[in-house]
Amino acid sequence: MRVLHLSWEFPPRIIGGLASHLFDLSRALTRRGVEIHVVTCNFPGAKEYEIVEGVNVHRFEAYAAGDSFLSWALRMQKNMERKGCDLISLIKGVDVIHAHDWLSGVAGIGLKHLYRKPLITTMHSTEYGRRNGIHNDLQACIHEIESWLCYESWRIITCSYYMRDHVSWCFRVPENKVCVIPNGVDVTKFNFVFNYWEIRNRFAHASEKILLFVGRLVPEKGLDVLIKALPIILGKGVNAKIVVVGEGPQRDEYQRLAKDHGLGNKILFTGHIDDWTLRALYRVADVAIVPSRFEPFGIVALEAMAAHCPLVASSIGGLDEIVDHEGTGLKVPPNNPEALAWGILRIIRDVGFKDWIVNNAYQKCLWNYNWDKIAEWTIGVYEAILHEYNAGSWKPV
Amino acid sequence: MRVLILTWEYPPKRLGNVSDHVSTLAHELVKRENEVEVMVLDDLRPGFEDVYGVHVHRVANPVKTHPMASVLTYAMTASVQIENEASNIVYFYKQHQKSIDLIHAHEWLTISPAISLKHAFNIPFVLTLHSIEGHRSHNRFGPLSIAIKEIEDTGIWESNKVITNTDWLKNEILRYYGDGHRKKMDVVWPVGKGWVDEVFSVYQRVAQETLQA
Repeated sequence: MRVLHLSWEFPPRIIGGLASHLFDLSRALTRRGVEIHVVTCNFPGAKEYEIVEGVNVHRFEAYAAGDSFLSWALRMQKNMERKGCDLISLIKGVDVIHAHDWLSGVAGIGLKHLYRKPLITTMHSTEYGRRNGIHNDLQACIHEIESWLCYESWRIITCSYYMRDHVSWCFRVPENKVCVIPNGVDVTKFNFVFNYWEIRNRFAHASEKILLFVGRLVPEKGLDVLIKALPIILGKGVNAKIVVVGEGPQRDEYQRLAKDHGLGNKILFTGHIDDWTLRALYRVADVAIVPSRFEPFGIVALEAMAAHCPLVASSIGGLDEIVDHEGTGLKVPPNNPEALAWGILRIIRDVGFKDWIVNNAYQKCLWNYNWDKIAEWTIGVYEAILHEYNAGSWKPV
Repeated sequence: MRVLILTWEYPPKRLGNVSDHVSTLAHELVKRENEVEVMVLDDLRPGFEDVYGVHVHRVANPVKTHPMASVLTYAMTASVQIENEASNIVYFYKQHQKSIDLIHAHEWLTISPAISLKHAFNIPFVLTLHSIEGHRSHNRFGPLSIAIKEIEDTGIWESNKVITNTDWLKNEILRYYGDGHRKKMDVVWPVGKGWVDEVFSVYQRVAQETLQA
């Protein structure tokens, strides 16, 4: 089977989470014997064509003038489409075209019709979800493009049941057209030898429990809820400190909030830190907290689970599906500092319970969020589509 | 000969002169026993119509909202929809063991789909430029105009022949987009009776060159 993946980012070009998602997915699919061709934007220093661990990566000229990001994105996709045409002619056909989000979907629609091959789209997020509604013409245009893409796709993949419901409501797509395949996590990345105290002392005093928050500092990630929960935890006689990894426009506001609560020395903003340190930090942290108000998937939760770090998360969006309450972590209602403090205290005070959920969570990563399994499920979707395609009459000749 | 004409206006949609130019061309080609498929951007009356032998496919843009009424996002999304419907025509003929011999695009709005169709199906492509962005624009070096100029430039590069209506415009195109295109240029003065024959002879030359290549 030969699959053409379209994406606007692929390592070394990393803008959001899509690049690493596709990197892991395409390698896992290759291990399963699928021939993968990725068509993606060029990047300074990256080769026009290369094979990365079996994945064929084809880069095209992404430069295009335009009067807005949107016109650039659309013109970029015309270049992507042309590269796709030349590639398909060169390798003499593909079986499935797989687009990721609207930033490659328009090219996908074009290639689908030009070569009459089934198009499958992964909707990682939606404009409606990102902006919490459609507020101006720019967002409306992107929303319509996403809607068009969902209409043209043979199947849509979302990473959580929450996103399936959202996509099906947002674009009036029947639910039977949407498949749910979760994101994955590579647990082997979290198994390495390191100096525990050397890492831990960098972030907190030995007597302090580390409460780890990882995410952009924006309102939907809900760091303010965690800050408001901290006085409750301290009041119960537990010495704890929040370590915040990530940057964002709300940073000043959160720092002020912490100071107002008299917690200036109990919260540490690290900004961006490198991947290795972050993974080590997951392993030395006492609790990882995901207090989000909106979350399509919640990859942070998976990383904590893979690193044997106990997890307290809001019961919303994708998190609701990743975390099993009292099984692989604790779930608390969003926007509720008391409940969050309860969850954190429960984990800190009950070591036996902590070990139990941490082990369960790790097993769940191995079983549910394993890239090899995700590749298998994705191949299942490809095969189902090809079966329908072969039985149908919509074909090149 | 079977020709696919791409245009952004066709009667009854009339915003400029291209509309009547293309319809005269299409009808005269049909009179000379060619098969003509016209794809036109028309949001108000999507669908198929057989106008005295000319097959007119009116294509509506699936994306209706465009920020600041941006003609660029309109053109790029509409372009994909044109490709989709044009592919359907190509495959329809393929199923009857026939093929489209030539694509004739008019103006920059239809350049993008023409290039994609050329790449996907190996159909030669003739471009008629009735005007160029450098003359039309009120802000020649603004981002919008630069983008449109890029599209015109790519179109001239990718096309097998460029037709202009006047010698003057031919020279202007060479001045803007480089003298290297001189061999590609053809001037057909679209007045009087014989001009469609001249266009047709351009088609035949392009078809012959493609066969030889």
